[in-house]
Amino acid sequence: MTLSGTAATACKTAATCWSCGAATDLAPFCGACGVVQPPGQSDHFARLGLEPRFDVDLQGLDRRYFELQRQLHPDRFARKSPREKAISQQQAAALNEAYEVLKTPLRRARYLARQLGVDLPDEGRTIDDPDLLMEAMEKREALAAASGPQAIEVLAREAAAERAALLQNLSPLFAAVDRRGVRAAILRLAYLDKFAEEARARRFNAGTASR
Amino acid sequence: MAYSEKLLDHYENPRNIGSLDKDAEDVGTGLVGAPACGDVMKLQIKVSADGLIEDAKFKTFGCGSAIASSSLVTEWVKGKTLEEAGTIKNTDIARHLALPPVKIHCSVLAEDAIKAAIADFRAKAEKKQAQDVESKTDERIAAAE
Repeated sequence: MTLSGTAATACKTAATCWSCGAATDLAPFCGACGVVQPPGQSDHFARLGLEPRFDVDLQGLDRRYFELQRQLHPDRFARKSPREKAISQQQAAALNEAYEVLKTPLRRARYLARQLGVDLPDEGRTIDDPDLLMEAMEKREALAAASGPQAIEVLAREAAAERAALLQNLSPLFAAVDRRGVRAAILRLAYLDKFAEEARARRFNAGTASR
Repeated sequence: MAYSEKLLDHYENPRNIGSLDKDAEDVGTGLVGAPACGDVMKLQIKVSADGLIEDAKFKTFGCGSAIASSSLVTEWVKGKTLEEAGTIKNTDIARHLALPPVKIHCSVLAEDAIKAAIADFRAKAEKKQAQDVESKTDERIAAAE
């Protein structure tokens, strides 16, 4: 049997340890024999030992992530079988993906929203909130017209304050399973994130131009 | 990723950048945005009395493909009727600019924008017509009394 073949088989039978046959939970290592287990289709939150909600303890997230990452480091598998090496790499990839999604507010919100069955617009179709679009257009025009680093800074701070308030608002919306509210807030957050990114670029360009 | 010569040309020398008076009766405005990336695109048309698009302007805050797509559409719609302009498909835009697959959504946005601009103009025209009929009726009632 090929290596990828065995790994795929192991994925499907994640309920028991592929090595010793003991029952396994979501942990990356078998509780009985300690051998690394395939990542399976675990939820991002569960993978990092967190409750599935928008408010995450970011320090706890970091701690858990780095702890697991250390356990899955390739150096620890240098003397293990090819199969264990392959599985540990799958685990590390799944862990990194989960961490990246959970650590970024917009990605975390989208992930959680999809789990709650919120109908998020797909890429390509325009968003259906004229007020938000008007506001986004005006703000981007103001940013483009801002004459110097100070003017850019003022706009960036305004947007950052609005973003902070929006993030605070998201938690109760998620907690109340207010799908419409969550959807609107996520669309707004995408624009505020983009604005922040553009403001950073503008600030950088203004800084280099004045030198 | 290699971009086509046409795309680079529209990106480097965008046509018809600017704004028209969105409150003017003969101007239709389409404002659209991509939910995934946060890009915004405004496309405006100025329609003559005989129903031809005599001017078009755009303003896009987004990636090069979004800018090129909207620039191309303003160029295409000038001199067209609203019906003709309404038939522009995102696939035509994508093909003309040879957009890579990950940028197809930018051409969809440009199609949405011209459709929204046409719809905005038509809504304004209908409203104006209704108001005209109303005021004429008022005049007749006033005359009859």
